Amino acid sequence: MDMIDYPDGEQFSPGHVACAGCAEALSLRVILNTLGADAIAVVPPSCTAVICGGYPLSSVSIPVQHTTLESAAASASGVKRSLNALGKTNTTVVCLAGDGGTYDIGLQALSSAAERNEDILYVCFDNEGYMNTGGQKSSSTPLNAITGSTPAGKLSRKKNLVEILAAHRIPYIATCSPAHLSDMSAKIKKAASIRGTKVIMVIIPCLPGWGVADDAAVKTARMAVDSGVFPLYEVEDGVDYTMTIDTRNQSVNAYLKQQKRYRNLSDKNISDIQADVDKEWEYLLGRARK
Amino acid sequence: MDRQPSPLWTNSSSLLRKTGTWRSAKPEYILSPSPCLGACPVNGRIAEWIGLLMEGDVKGAWLTLVDNNPFPAIAGRICHHPCETVCNRQQMDEAVGICSLERHVGDVAMREGWSFPVPEKEGEKSVAVIGGGPAGLSAAYQLRRLGIKVNLLEQQPQLGGLLRYGIPAYRLDKKIVDYEIRRIIDMGVDVELSAEVDDQHALQKLHDEFDAVYIATGASQSKALPGLDYSQSWVIDSAEFLSATNAGEPCSLGSDLVVIGGGSAAIDVARTARRLGKSVKLLSLEPEHLLPAQKTEVDEAIEEGIEFVTAAQMQSVSKDGGSLILECIRINFNQGEERGKFTINPVPGSEFQLRTDAIIPSIGQDADTSRWQSLLDSDGTVVKTDDCWQTSTQGIFAGGDVASMDRFVTQAVGMGKQAAAEIGYYLEQLLSGSPVMNANETEFSEINTNYFPAAARNKQADLEVDDRLQNFSEVQQPLAEDHALAEASRCFSCGSCIYCDNCYLYCPDMAITKLKHGYEVKSDYCKGCGLCVAECPTGSVVMLEEGQGTA
Amino acid sequence: MKEKQNLQLLSGNHAVSWGVKLARPHVAPLYPITPQTPILEKLTEFHSQGELDAELLTPESEHSAMSACVAASLTGARVFTATSSQGLLLMHELLHYASGARAPIVMFNVNRTPGSPWAFWPDQIDSLSQRDTGWIKMYSESPQESLDTVIQAFRIAEKLALPLMISHDAFYVSHAVEPVELPQQELVDNFLPAYNPELRLDTSLGQSFGAPIDQATWNRSRREAGEAMARVENEVLETGKAWGELTGRSYAALENYRTEAADTIIVTMGSMCGTVRDAVDALRDQGTAVGLLKVRQFRPLPVQTLRDSLAGIPSVLVLDRNYSPGMGGILHQELKSALFGMRDAPRVHGLLAGVGGVNVSSNKIQQLVAEYADAKPSNDSVWVE
Repeated sequence: MDMIDYPDGEQFSPGHVACAGCAEALSLRVILNTLGADAIAVVPPSCTAVICGGYPLSSVSIPVQHTTLESAAASASGVKRSLNALGKTNTTVVCLAGDGGTYDIGLQALSSAAERNEDILYVCFDNEGYMNTGGQKSSSTPLNAITGSTPAGKLSRKKNLVEILAAHRIPYIATCSPAHLSDMSAKIKKAASIRGTKVIMVIIPCLPGWGVADDAAVKTARMAVDSGVFPLYEVEDGVDYTMTIDTRNQSVNAYLKQQKRYRNLSDKNISDIQADVDKEWEYLLGRARK
Repeated sequence: MDRQPSPLWTNSSSLLRKTGTWRSAKPEYILSPSPCLGACPVNGRIAEWIGLLMEGDVKGAWLTLVDNNPFPAIAGRICHHPCETVCNRQQMDEAVGICSLERHVGDVAMREGWSFPVPEKEGEKSVAVIGGGPAGLSAAYQLRRLGIKVNLLEQQPQLGGLLRYGIPAYRLDKKIVDYEIRRIIDMGVDVELSAEVDDQHALQKLHDEFDAVYIATGASQSKALPGLDYSQSWVIDSAEFLSATNAGEPCSLGSDLVVIGGGSAAIDVARTARRLGKSVKLLSLEPEHLLPAQKTEVDEAIEEGIEFVTAAQMQSVSKDGGSLILECIRINFNQGEERGKFTINPVPGSEFQLRTDAIIPSIGQDADTSRWQSLLDSDGTVVKTDDCWQTSTQGIFAGGDVASMDRFVTQAVGMGKQAAAEIGYYLEQLLSGSPVMNANETEFSEINTNYFPAAARNKQADLEVDDRLQNFSEVQQPLAEDHALAEASRCFSCGSCIYCDNCYLYCPDMAITKLKHGYEVKSDYCKGCGLCVAECPTGSVVMLEEGQGTA
Repeated sequence: MKEKQNLQLLSGNHAVSWGVKLARPHVAPLYPITPQTPILEKLTEFHSQGELDAELLTPESEHSAMSACVAASLTGARVFTATSSQGLLLMHELLHYASGARAPIVMFNVNRTPGSPWAFWPDQIDSLSQRDTGWIKMYSESPQESLDTVIQAFRIAEKLALPLMISHDAFYVSHAVEPVELPQQELVDNFLPAYNPELRLDTSLGQSFGAPIDQATWNRSRREAGEAMARVENEVLETGKAWGELTGRSYAALENYRTEAADTIIVTMGSMCGTVRDAVDALRDQGTAVGLLKVRQFRPLPVQTLRDSLAGIPSVLVLDRNYSPGMGGILHQELKSALFGMRDAPRVHGLLAGVGGVNVSSNKIQQLVAEYADAKPSNDSVWVE
């Protein structure tokens, strides 16, 4: 069988307050233990902020600055520059942000940090909405998904943030899934070894936000990857695309049917989504072939 | 600096927060039977020993295997492997080659010379086992493991029964038979060869002398084909033919033979005859797809040039000079609801002739139930036993072909094992230990197939046909070491923990502790999400509502 | 008085940059805005010439600049930034965060009218509208004072773990050039202890800052900030005295200029003080007993010292170069509140003088003194025509 491999450790502690079955907590476990002790995290308001904290307790061993929602990349730049000035140049500075803090309000600061090629690792836990505030749409929410602010389903598509970041020509961007933990760990390790701005996008099926069962976050993430809705790939220097998994083995149907946020989809909606996923998939494969 | 800012900084670990209180259900590790276990005639813990094989622990795999079956090398060659028919992996690609793996383990054990331990404590009780075939040997083995003395009486000059005298060497090399029997005898079994227990007095004497008797004399009487004159020199009984050939003294016959029958024994006869240079036709009532023989046997027989004349019946025989003319007719074969209760209807106008030198009828064997009639009730076909394999006389047990119409070798081995357990309990209330299992068989839906990459079955190679016909060398070749390992890794280990760490590594709450061999759930932190269950590849952990225990 | 040495002609903004360079910050996130930009440009020039060994970063906004300041400060760095008007207002959210985090950032703000409508003139409403963000706020009158205050500011802020904002007025101070005495690096190094906070983002400590807290702890955090604020005036005084011993230029929270036996005292902040000094000198020459009370430290407002300074003074004129619509001049309101309940409180006249950068001349101030000498004070601030 395929064995899972990521560094075991105690960088993330039990007793945190993530929902039962949360894939973000699971991903944090992998990421924090892969990064190890020589790291400082910057966390804007998000599920991760709640998971890490709850003063005076902390679930993470490394220091965390809980910053403002739009400031993750700027704050991380500040931490990194401070460490540089104090001679601690090897410490990894990692942002752990949500998609609201990344695709939306934090994009300006992230773009600027990327433009300056600040030596930070930026991880976006993409649960496709403002799930920590009860589930409203963000610019990462996909077409037709029901959220608290799109009760009839979102009318516009999900922003392709990887392409925006690739346009900055930063050294490394990768997508990860909590159903592919070995791959997640390997990509985090690779990113941490590179100087400059690195961005990792992790798909996080949100149990209450997407309407999936407590034990189904990993399964849903796997379906997202297997159907091509959330492909796993890397972009180096903004132009070199590499597919981590270059095959799809299922249609979007089962993935969509798995989630209550898509409960109102018509057959036409599903076929439109399938057509869009097919098109994006081919486009991505085309990029990877070049 | 004369003042520090307010200590709004974290100062303790979240370990202080016991989030286990959120839980309404908790994971529970279970050992539940795999479908193969249920189908296995000896109830072998197949998933478990393949798991050990995967880990590279061949000795462990062998020890688990021989817990239920002392003949892995033999069974690995000739078992009809119903386990593979129910294998969950079929629903993904192809069944795991369980039989070939069993052979691999059995062969390694022979190569390494692993033996069974002599019982640590010798008990007072003793049992007479009549019949040194698969059932008798299996019972003797299990009784010895319980510390019970065993006297094994065999009518033939050598032990093995069907293994030695029935199954041809090209399927089962006799060296294998010698070895696996020797290993049982070395546990301290007293053996009497060429020993007859031919009437009720002899049986009564054993009954008086021993604390219990186990009868496993098999089914040694060939069924007679009605209307065929067995006194003719051109009619040879199949058991006699096989036994003589296996003993190295083949019967002299003409060059053309017709074998009548469609079971494994008939195929064995036909293929044996081919190896003696004969031209062979096999005449069966059943159409080819309903032949009781295993499909691989039929395929190999066809490869070897045996001509199958199926869905046909011989009506009469006549002599034409030096050869025979068989008058035959095509039939419609109706399988019927129950095994052996078929009906046939000749197709008018479909008569045809077969020309041959000799006929070997091979339509099955009957047990001899008449010799102990006054002591043991029978239904005319087999000796009657109760649920505990005890006959109508207390203290006399029976199993194998003499007591059952289940006639596969490993079924006999299973019966021997069960009878030994019952005898142990009858004599000393000894319980033979098997792990308590969750009652529910693991279903395919409980397997997380995402962890099992698609992989074609590693098939055992066969000897080339030309080479096969030169001698009695084994047709089926062993799996190479690496192929065996690859095949083992195809096993889903249904219902058995394989210590893959998925439950541990997928827990978002770090609520699983790894033990030396196994896992433990930390009640303080497990929130009861069930991810460990969902991502368990083998279905060996389940969620139980808080407060419930395992059944 | 010591002999002045190492004099250079510097604008107010360049004097600030010199002060920053001498204070040796570790990190300086900077974003350009008129009329602050010369501070940024001088610092980047120093940096490119190898005279300033700091991590400079130039993010896309003042918001990110302040975010980086907070983070760098929490990581243990000495941090400086500068801004003005819109930039300061964009930082607003982070100003609260910085004081809550007790991050001793030093920021220089050049007072400028905020839009709309768009304008670039001296007006203190930008910084005064940030008065409740928990920062120490100081106002400077001249390039020399700006340089001196920047250096003192690091000592005060880092000692009390409070962020500190200094403001000077656009153009009147920011771009006005005058001879400025540059202290020696060694003098500054001895004056300014190394910044080495015990609580910081440090992998060897593992402690985190900013995690969500309960009501009582948030409440306590503000009380503690208040306790620190209560110690600011004394710290400003001690630090100003120490600086005076080294340079001959002493400072305090308030400055009295010719207030002895005054009938009228003019209270104001920033560049207006220079014009008032001129008017005071002229009026004293004419025999009118007038003085200036300069407010250098606006937050925390030195209430008791103000009361002591103004006890028994018949008339006070407050000149506000700012306007809070619906309320009036902010210094006027603050002063009335500071003097509330005093038995011998002066008559306080609030005058909106110079709002939007309009010129207020020495003559005009002299006229106002005469006009309000015996006038009955109005509760509302009065627009000066």
